[in-house]
Amino acid sequence: MRFVLVLVIVAVALGLRILVRQTQRNRRLATESDEHGVTPLEPSPHRGGLAIGANLGGVGLVARREILERVRGRIFRVGTIIILLAVGAAIVIPKIHSSTTTPPQKVGVVGAPNAVLTKVIKDSGRRGNVPVRVVSEQSEESARAALRDGDLDVAIVNGDKILVNQPVSSDSTTDTATVVQVLAPELGVLRAYQQAGLSAPQIEQVSRARPVPVESLQHTNKNNKDVNKGTSVIGVILIFLMLNQYNTWILMGVMQEKASRVVEVLLAALRPIQLLGGKVLGIGLVAMGQAILIVGFAFILSKAVGSDLLRGTGALLLLSDLVWLILGYAFYCWLFAAAGSMAERQDQVQTLALPLTLPILIAYVFSITVASSGNPSLLFKVLAYLPPTAPFAMPVLVGLDQVAWWQFLISVLLAIAGTAVMAWIAAGIYRRAVLKSGQRVKLRELQSGPRRPRPTSRPTVDPA
Amino acid sequence: MGGLLELEGLRRTFGSLVALDDLTFTVPSGQVVGFLGPNGAGKTTTMRAIFGLIDLDAGVVRWNGTPVGRAQWRRFGYMPEERGLYPGMLVGEQVEYLGRLHGMSPHDAASATRIWLERLEIADRATSKVEALSHGNQQRVQLAAALIHEPELLVLDEPLSGLDPTGIDAIGHVLVDQARSGCCVLFSSHQLDLVEDLCEQVTIIDHGRLVVSGTVDHLASSGARRLVVRVEGERTADWARSLEGVSVSEFAAGAVRLVLDDDVDSDSVLRAAMGAGRVTEFSFGRRRLSEVFREAVR
Repeated sequence: MRFVLVLVIVAVALGLRILVRQTQRNRRLATESDEHGVTPLEPSPHRGGLAIGANLGGVGLVARREILERVRGRIFRVGTIIILLAVGAAIVIPKIHSSTTTPPQKVGVVGAPNAVLTKVIKDSGRRGNVPVRVVSEQSEESARAALRDGDLDVAIVNGDKILVNQPVSSDSTTDTATVVQVLAPELGVLRAYQQAGLSAPQIEQVSRARPVPVESLQHTNKNNKDVNKGTSVIGVILIFLMLNQYNTWILMGVMQEKASRVVEVLLAALRPIQLLGGKVLGIGLVAMGQAILIVGFAFILSKAVGSDLLRGTGALLLLSDLVWLILGYAFYCWLFAAAGSMAERQDQVQTLALPLTLPILIAYVFSITVASSGNPSLLFKVLAYLPPTAPFAMPVLVGLDQVAWWQFLISVLLAIAGTAVMAWIAAGIYRRAVLKSGQRVKLRELQSGPRRPRPTSRPTVDPA
Repeated sequence: MGGLLELEGLRRTFGSLVALDDLTFTVPSGQVVGFLGPNGAGKTTTMRAIFGLIDLDAGVVRWNGTPVGRAQWRRFGYMPEERGLYPGMLVGEQVEYLGRLHGMSPHDAASATRIWLERLEIADRATSKVEALSHGNQQRVQLAAALIHEPELLVLDEPLSGLDPTGIDAIGHVLVDQARSGCCVLFSSHQLDLVEDLCEQVTIIDHGRLVVSGTVDHLASSGARRLVVRVEGERTADWARSLEGVSVSEFAAGAVRLVLDDDVDSDSVLRAAMGAGRVTEFSFGRRRLSEVFREAVR
């Protein structure tokens, strides 16, 4: 699994690097062509390399504009700070909470000091996860007085009676109750040993008895599982929030370009796929940057405060969240772009976006439930392989350690394939819908609508 | 620069509506060509067709004899009717961005942006958001965006609508200068007196068909004879309405513009006018563009 994640990250980094290089190369070619008085971006069958460069140039410019406009926006900056604060709080607060030393339970022992008894008391405290301090008391009366005054929490009289100030019920969870609930049966056993006539060394030996280890066939680590539940839930919430934000950007961005007619000016200079691709890439890079910032921040902060977040598969889970946020964005952005291109007004866009947000919402609620319960159903495991729901379900399975690396890889490949299909469908819808102004475009109109003509395929009349 | 835009046999239907019906005309370089027609005549559809923004059912748009495509569109400048800009983007950045999309280097785009914003007297608004500008200034930004890459063909949809006289002068001068420097300029407008002042040539379409095309000069001097007659104290021009072969084209501020059929003698008109009162003005007039337009789209 770790290997797969590293592979995915390396692939993304390589892809970005190639893109940057191509853009630089294109820019260099364009400048050189300028110097030689050649129109640089003219597509020509004899200059295929240049034409590809030109395409990337247009995409690059659109992406650059998107990045600048988004990152400058106050909503983005404030939103990022709020998310960082929330993640920081989620990491630091449990740590502060767990490291705050609760005052130890003061257990007073009336009677002669007894090493075995002291050991039993301390073991009980350890088992109940409550720090314990053993003090000796002169008499039962002084112990009672100390209990009343709050100087003692528990008193043990002659090893056969426990005194507490307030009654302790069996379902009480206070530290005192916990100590008493563990201690009472232990003292009973200790007393039984004494009555059976066991010598002190024998009693000590017997009281050292520990349960035999239980080995399960399925490997699980209860501590990690508990820690990862929290990380899983936080991860799913972040994926949901960020995915919604980026989808809304795409949706509104495309709709506003159409409504303001700026798309007409842009499409006089760009192909529709360049404009769409640039927008998706630009917002995608902002998304990736924001997600890397958040995950990196979570990593560093966890390391710094020694949080449980990174214990066991925690680090892997964070990386998987990052991968699935990007894959989720890649899958959904096309759909939202297509929806945006069919609308010109806010109310139209909301009607169109609703059916698209439904799978996200269902997957989100389902994933939160499973992440909290820790018991994924078969249906949930199936959802982890479907591209629309995998961005939520798969990270939860990773968090629960219920998925093998090859299963993760299959899901990633399915998501990539699904994304390719979505991009193809959405680009077709976008191309046909984005220039149709007036009423909201219906899908039916697009099926039969003619494609935007390509200049080479146009009917030409011999100028002669 | 210099070039010739040819539109040949353009046809486009929207359902049962015929937006363009075998529309054919040319736009030569070095002139400002006014593109006129009543609302719904197909002007915007034609302009969008030039940029491949709509699909044509038939016909071809050529630039210097070559069917237009991506390569040509990048060298054209387009200003759609109203808007056409990112409302939330800074003025300077927006113009520069559009320049770069048309293939300009970052340096060239930046300096051309400065030049055009200064020329259109909005340099001080370069760092304002477009939406913060007045309508007139937004029009100027749009024009700068259409001009930044020194297009060979400039197509402007209603560039003068809603402008004050200084705005009209500023944009008008730029259009004329562009044409003088060899650019092909085609713009649509409903302000016929402005078109008459700015354009050497007009093309009038109606119901997607070409109805009139020619130089303003030729159109003004052609057609039926026109007389401008002012009769003192006359408020109804009833004397003229009863004349055979004479129609009243306009009656305003005490002067009546008459259109005479070929066989009507102007002396008979003068006699009729004198019969109605003291004649203070009697002159032959040129055909106004508004008259050309009304007669063309009647």
